[in-house]
Amino acid sequence: MSGIVLDRVSVRVPVDGSPAPRTLLEKISLSLAERRIGVIGANGSGKSTLLRLLNGLVAPSDGTVMVDGADTARAVREVRRSVGFVFTDPLSQLVMPTGREDVELSLRRSIRNATERRAHAEAVLDRFGLLPLADQSIYELSGGERQLLALAAVLAVDPEVLVLDEPSTLLDLRNRELLRRTLAGLRQQVILSTHDLELALDMDRVLVVDAGRVVFDGGPAAAVAQYRELSAASLPPAGPGAGLGSAGARQDRLEKR
Amino acid sequence: MSSDGFLLATYAPGTSLIHRAPLWLKFLLVVGCGMASFLIADWAVSAVVLVLLCGLFLLSGAGAARLFRAVRPVLPVLLAIGLFQWWQLGAPTAARIVLNVLICVVAASILTATTPVQRLLDGVASLARPFRRLGADPERFALTIAIMLRSIPFVAGAYSDVRDSARARGLERNPRALVLPVFITTVAYARQTGEALAARGLGEPEDDEGQ
Repeated sequence: MSGIVLDRVSVRVPVDGSPAPRTLLEKISLSLAERRIGVIGANGSGKSTLLRLLNGLVAPSDGTVMVDGADTARAVREVRRSVGFVFTDPLSQLVMPTGREDVELSLRRSIRNATERRAHAEAVLDRFGLLPLADQSIYELSGGERQLLALAAVLAVDPEVLVLDEPSTLLDLRNRELLRRTLAGLRQQVILSTHDLELALDMDRVLVVDAGRVVFDGGPAAAVAQYRELSAASLPPAGPGAGLGSAGARQDRLEKR
Repeated sequence: MSSDGFLLATYAPGTSLIHRAPLWLKFLLVVGCGMASFLIADWAVSAVVLVLLCGLFLLSGAGAARLFRAVRPVLPVLLAIGLFQWWQLGAPTAARIVLNVLICVVAASILTATTPVQRLLDGVASLARPFRRLGADPERFALTIAIMLRSIPFVAGAYSDVRDSARARGLERNPRALVLPVFITTVAYARQTGEALAARGLGEPEDDEGQ
C-alpha cells in the first residue's frame, strides 16, 4: 500500500486580464492510504486538480505532495512510475493507432526486447478481454472498450496507485458496470473522481470537494449525503436559463487548462 | 472525432513477403521513391513506377480499399495542383508532378501498411542512435515520429468534422469557419497528447533502467 500525503497544498492559476490569480485548491492537507478513495463534487470544484497533483501533472503553488516519500514536484519521473493516471476521455490518452501498439508503447521503457514486449502486451490485453480487439483501430472501439484499453495501457507498467479522473462519465450503464467490476478486482490503490454516485459508494473513503476545499472526508454513504445536500443548496432559483454561466462553470474551464 | 481521412495506410497484419521484408529495405524504398520523384522527368515513367508500387501494395494483401483511403485525402489537393500546373506548364509536366506525389504517398503507405508502429519506432530509434553522442534521445525522436503519424488522421478527421458542421450552418464557403476551428482543435489535441504522454511518463529523457 502506498502512502500519499498532501501537506497544506494550494493551487493557483493566473487569470487573463486580472492581476490576482484564481485559487483552484486552498490549503489541503490529506493522508491517502485507503485502498479505494473517491472524490466527488460539483463541476469546477477542484476534483481534477486534486487528482492531477497526485501524478505531478499539476504542481502545487504552495505546500507539498509526497508519494511514498517522493515529492511530486521534484521527483516527477519516480512519481509517474508509481502513479498511473487515466483520463476521462480515453481518446486523449491513447496515442497509438491500435490497442496492441498503445500497450506496447507503455512498455517501451521497461522492456527493451521487442518479442518480450509484444508477449507482455498480449498478456495485459488478454487480462482485460481485449486481445481479440488488439489490432483494431482505437476509433473503431466502443467507448467502454476504449476506457478499458486506456486502463490496460496504464496498468501494463504495474503502478502502485491508479488515479482516474471521472472514468465513467462517457460510459453507458453496461460499461459502467464493467468498469466498476474491473476496478474492484485491481490490486492497486485506486483514487478516482466521479459524478457516478453508485461508483462513489463502492469506495472505502470519499472526499467531498467544494470551491477548492475538502468539505467532507469520511465514509461513502455520509459523503454522498453531504454532496447531495451541498448540490441542493447551490441550486439557482427555478426559471429558464437560470444558473447558466455560473462561477463554477468558469472555474471548471480554468481547471481544465 | 471521425478519423476517416488518413494520408498513410494503417497497418494491416499479415505474413506477406513485404510484411517480412527487412525494415531497412522498406525505408530504402520510401527514400528511393522520394528521390526518384525529383529525378523522374517523364510522366510515362512516373505512371509505370506508380503502377508497380500499387501492385506491390496489393501484393501485401493490405487491400485496395486501404490504399484508396490513404490516397483519397490528397486527391483534392493534387487536382488543384494538377490543374494549375497544366495551365502554367502543360499537361505532361502536370501529370508528372501529380504522379510523383502519388508515388511518395503509395511508397510511404507500403511501409506503414506492412510494418507495425512499434517496429517502426524500433527502426527509427536505431537509426537515431548514432546521434546520441550529440545529445539526441533516440526514443524521444522515435516517439515524435509515431505521434506525428498518429496526428495526421486526427487532423484530417477534425477537418472533416468541422466541414460537416460548417455545412450544417451554411458556412461551407467561409474559410474562417473551416480553418479556425481546425486550428483550435489541433492545438487542444496537441496539449492533450502532451499531457497524456507526461502522465504515462513517456517522452522523458532516457535512463539506464531498461532491461
